[in-house]
Amino acid sequence: MEDRAQTLVRKMVPNIYQPYPVSVHGVKEETGDIKTFTLGFKDQEIQNRFTFRPGQFVLVSVFNCGEAPISICSSPTFSKGLQLSIKKMGLLTGEIHRYTEGDEVGLRGPYGNGFPLEQLCGHDLLFVGGGIGLAPLRSLIQYVLSKRSQFGGVTILYGARTPQDIVFKDDLAAWDKEEDVQVTTTVYRDNPTWKGEVGPVTRLLEKATISPSNTKAIICGHPAIISYVVFDLLKMGFAEEDIITTLERNMKCGVGKCGHCSIGSKFTCMHGPVFTYREIKTFPTGF
Amino acid sequence: MRGTVGKGAVMPNELILNKEHLTGFLRKIAKERELIAPIKNSYGDTLFEVISSVDDVSLDLESRPAMPPKDFFLPPTETLFNYQREGKQYRFEEVLPDVSRVLFGLRSCDLWAILFLDVVFQENFKDRYYLNRRSNTILINIGCHEPMLNCFCKSAKSGPFLTQGYDLQLTDLGDRFFVEVGRPRGRELVDKWDYFFTSATQKDRDEQYEIVLEAESKFGQTVDLDMATSRLINHEVDDALWEELGNRCQGCGGCAYVCPTCYCFNIVDRPVSETQGERVRMHDACTLAGFTRLAGGYNPRQERSRRIRRRFYHKLPFAIEKYHRPSCVGCGRCMEICFGRVDMIHFIKMVCERGKKASQEASLRLGEILVQAGLISREELKVALEKQADTGKPLGIQLIEDGLTTTKEIALALGCQLRIPETAGTEG
Amino acid sequence: MPKVLTTCCFCACGCNLYLQVEAGKVIGVTPSREHPITRGNLCLKGWNSFEFVHHKDRLRYPLIRRRGHLVEADWEKALNLVAQRLAEVKDKYGPQSLGVLSSAKCTNEENYLLMKFARAVLKTNNVDHCARLCHSPSVIGLSNAFGSGAMTNAISELASAEVILVTGSNTTEQHPQIARFIFDALARGAKLIVVDPRRIPLSRFAHIYLQPRLGTDVIWLNGMTKIILEEGLLDDAFIKMRTENFRAFSEMLKNFDLEQVEAISGIPLEDLRMAARVYAGVKRAMIIYSMGITQHISGTDNVQSIANLAMLTGHVEQKYTGVGPLRGQNNVQGACDMGALPGMLSGYQNVADEGIRKKFERVWKTDLPTAPGLTEIDMFHGTGNKKIRAMFVMGENPALSHPDLKATRAALQVLEFMAVSDIFLTETAALADVVLPAASFAEKNGTVTSTERRIQRVRKAVSPIGASRPDWQIICELASRMNYPMAYESPAEIMEEIAMLTPIYGGVYYDRLEQGWGLFWPCPNRDHPGTPFLHKGSFVRGKGRFECTLYRPPAEMPDEAYPFYLTTGRISEHWHTGSMSRRITALSRERPEAFVEINPQDAKRLGVANRKPVRVVSRRGEITVKARLTDDVPEKTVYIPFHFTEAPANILTHGHCDPEAKIPEFKVCAVRLEKVQ
Repeated sequence: MEDRAQTLVRKMVPNIYQPYPVSVHGVKEETGDIKTFTLGFKDQEIQNRFTFRPGQFVLVSVFNCGEAPISICSSPTFSKGLQLSIKKMGLLTGEIHRYTEGDEVGLRGPYGNGFPLEQLCGHDLLFVGGGIGLAPLRSLIQYVLSKRSQFGGVTILYGARTPQDIVFKDDLAAWDKEEDVQVTTTVYRDNPTWKGEVGPVTRLLEKATISPSNTKAIICGHPAIISYVVFDLLKMGFAEEDIITTLERNMKCGVGKCGHCSIGSKFTCMHGPVFTYREIKTFPTGF
Repeated sequence: MRGTVGKGAVMPNELILNKEHLTGFLRKIAKERELIAPIKNSYGDTLFEVISSVDDVSLDLESRPAMPPKDFFLPPTETLFNYQREGKQYRFEEVLPDVSRVLFGLRSCDLWAILFLDVVFQENFKDRYYLNRRSNTILINIGCHEPMLNCFCKSAKSGPFLTQGYDLQLTDLGDRFFVEVGRPRGRELVDKWDYFFTSATQKDRDEQYEIVLEAESKFGQTVDLDMATSRLINHEVDDALWEELGNRCQGCGGCAYVCPTCYCFNIVDRPVSETQGERVRMHDACTLAGFTRLAGGYNPRQERSRRIRRRFYHKLPFAIEKYHRPSCVGCGRCMEICFGRVDMIHFIKMVCERGKKASQEASLRLGEILVQAGLISREELKVALEKQADTGKPLGIQLIEDGLTTTKEIALALGCQLRIPETAGTEG
Repeated sequence: MPKVLTTCCFCACGCNLYLQVEAGKVIGVTPSREHPITRGNLCLKGWNSFEFVHHKDRLRYPLIRRRGHLVEADWEKALNLVAQRLAEVKDKYGPQSLGVLSSAKCTNEENYLLMKFARAVLKTNNVDHCARLCHSPSVIGLSNAFGSGAMTNAISELASAEVILVTGSNTTEQHPQIARFIFDALARGAKLIVVDPRRIPLSRFAHIYLQPRLGTDVIWLNGMTKIILEEGLLDDAFIKMRTENFRAFSEMLKNFDLEQVEAISGIPLEDLRMAARVYAGVKRAMIIYSMGITQHISGTDNVQSIANLAMLTGHVEQKYTGVGPLRGQNNVQGACDMGALPGMLSGYQNVADEGIRKKFERVWKTDLPTAPGLTEIDMFHGTGNKKIRAMFVMGENPALSHPDLKATRAALQVLEFMAVSDIFLTETAALADVVLPAASFAEKNGTVTSTERRIQRVRKAVSPIGASRPDWQIICELASRMNYPMAYESPAEIMEEIAMLTPIYGGVYYDRLEQGWGLFWPCPNRDHPGTPFLHKGSFVRGKGRFECTLYRPPAEMPDEAYPFYLTTGRISEHWHTGSMSRRITALSRERPEAFVEINPQDAKRLGVANRKPVRVVSRRGEITVKARLTDDVPEKTVYIPFHFTEAPANILTHGHCDPEAKIPEFKVCAVRLEKVQ
């Protein structure tokens, strides 16, 4: 016996867990274990409704493997589909690495708060990325470059384990050519052909010319790297609210219900994954 | 009194149901809806069961059922979608059950817990599965005139009698039930079968009030939930307490599984064949390490003590901050079932008994941090600082090169100090 | 949502839970609140025990090996083939060439039937099961001492003990519900003594924690008895009235040098003295032990030493006072009770006894074999492995659970024929010629017996998955095809036969099991209420017998080439070979992979970091697992759980056995560690 209230629920409440199919349009091998997938919507209407901010993520369904949160690495201004860079880690990511053009995955989102674009406007920007942490930054960097006049100088510092582990090589080269953009890449362990910097990404910070008072720093990478960089930025005189980073958490629902990604009284999927250091400081260790 | 008894008339808000009419009333309900009530089975356990026939069951309105009623809104395992793959196509088909239910004989705490879940599943993104079940379920509770051994709903302000939120609330007056009509669903029910009810008199009302008063004075457990909450908010709980609770917890997940308000869930794919499968959601427990562990192995809450701390913070201050009520309804189930006494009652008592310990604010200097973390000695720091003056290398690098510490240890100490939750406790 | 009461399928605590059924599927469990052991809660395994039932990997059809591959077949073909091949091998090489492995995961009825199948149909006593690998020393050692190898008391009696001595049992992880009663006892002021080479979680609650070296149990146990004797803490009257052979035993102790305790076991003598005084100083003391005591080449002596200690202080024969070997599997007690043992018929009735054989022959209407049977280990490793030509395996997975896996798997592969019935394609089933899909615990009726000798019902909640069938039906079908019709209509009918032939189960009937929470054996007749604690008034064997025990070092000790002790065991989130638990979301997520516990000092020397892979090498093989640095293991000792097929600890272990109980020494072998670059 369905009654009025139930009818209302069925009619008015959309299914927040429903993935819609998207198909793989292109696969680019970034490194030995990272691939960038370009996805195209099957349904024009869904595509039109799908708008996002840099820093947001989607939940990707892979047949028989469940769902995983992946941050969007393309800019909202990029018109040829949605791009996700995925590192091979477990069952789901291993499976999607086997996918080629035409294969379908499920998608829902975008979720999360994204980067605070309004607050970044008019400032110099310092991007510090480590490993695959460059992916969400890429979305923002490309957005910034497409709206160049709204932002100040851009410094991009990127660290990878080895030269083979550098992602978005073409993008890094292209960004470097842009006006008022400085890109420096460093590797932790070099090889004979490597001509760039060697050492941790924090070492690049010392050499960069940055004015902490008018710069917003955006950091993304392995948690240990974030700690180092935050520590150095504070020493340099960055204000706590000018240090922006993303936190990675185990996520299941993406919509603030399942409880997995909780941090303090917040959910990373709803209030994050982008936080300022000032906010992060209020979360007691291990919450 | 707002109405008079009679055909087509609107029933008043306070009614009397003679006990001899209860079975008849339930029989009528069961014809139209799935009737669920606490049943004492032949083994002696009281469980919420679907009643197919009101005649051959023994209704237990005296004790709180072993498991809370949340399973009827959030089943232990629930299929959200069937999915299939044909060629390269990948499709999801929603599975939405069609239910219309009456939950009869709920304890007040359990009904209050459902109201809490209502808020969670309605805020922000609405949960279609929960609301689909919930919107078509009528809730009838029975006020508790005799609290059980571990009940503390009075401290949690969720009982023993409710003032709102129910569709109907019953009070046992011996030979008859005093029936309060709450939400419109309850009204529909009594209006439809009005002939089972009579209006309550002033004497009935007085008697009912007496029972409420009596019940409130009968609690065996005195638990100061507010004081514990304020201690948690002010971070006046020392680490040793969490450590102790962490040791005592056996990681069974039982506290979450039996808690009427614990709603955390997992979503997984359950393959059926090479071309199809089910996406299911199932109960989960925040006391498990896998609950927060990331694919790469990092776990922000690796230690059991942290998971326990998280649980109690979530139950009390966080829920109060967010929903203005604790997500503990004082049912006492966790107290009954915990292997290691890591339940709400023991916890609150521990917190209230222990004194206040202020947390330390330490300097940001790396050397100090490492010394404090016990990673290097003060002597070693002095030597490293002198060396550093010569080499010009950053202190951390100098320490690593001297073999005094590792990058990981520095990261860990920094994480602790800077309160970056990711790096602290990422082992395992 | 019907809820069907049943007994948990994991450990031998015997928790009762309701399976929640919806649309023909089990969707959850509800623990019983009134059940005296369950008390409204389960361990993480129990809470998730329903999930593997509908797993995609469940065997749904019989499989027959064709040209090297297992292919789907119908029941008719598969059963005929098994019957035909077993008969052929029997005719060609004689009944002694057949081996039958029964299962501690199956019901009493199924174990009884399989033991009957082996003896009455195949005509061999070569029937055994995994109790050989866990508590065979208890069955022998405690039978010698007390007359019965089971737990002397009910689990709940632990809560009222004054002193609890736990040794070789990681109780909180392996028997969580039993640990719960220990916590209850502690809350009432009881004293806890934990003796374990690993700093197990329970040791954090111990008043006295002793850390002996691996395999030195006889030393510290004899040391403790000697201290009690010297200090006059013994119970003279009890020894005189209720025991025998005390003189020989005390003579032996005279020659025992207390100085060697610390030298060999590493336990400071003063600590041991303190423990001895605490244990001997009260009336109600219980000893709890498990695999840490039994899985040694001196397993029987270890058990006997425990029995000596208990008798010396008069700590048996009473409520809240006794010796508790904690059984592992949900029905390992029952499988022993049912006579799935080479030397015993059901109820521990000796197969060599002609009178007993006559009793069974009269009911079974056939002659029974007289030749003694082979143990499970002998079928693979010992004298037997060249004799056994064909095997029938019900719900066991020796290809992962036996020691020295290379030798075990080689022995399986040279068999001319092997049939396996199981619910998943285990490592063993994958080697079989015929695989028969069995029904899981949620799909059949029967009884199981928990570690406290409590006989309880398993009830069917859903229909068997696919074409699978309960094992008892499979056995009936096979027997009938081998010219021995077995036409039981239900497990209840089988239990009637068990009751008739088995004195300790004499009063066990299904209708009685519907009332209350099962029956404790011995329960000799319908009017008998069952026996929660044993040996009341006198020991089952008459007088308790002291036995002299001598320390024997483990078969393989660390040396220069293999400088580490390896000890193996389980973890709380997984169950044995993982065929069920690793298919459960919450459990596999909690512990996704194998690990080796290494002391941080050793790790430092080896240059091994936490969570980084390490190669563990023994004389028999090597595995690579991730390191887990912890002070819980002492230096020069590593610990690996044996659940994980991708890193099977039993590749490393050896097949040396206790001479009496034939239990392999899973708990000690020598390995070396290598850092993986």
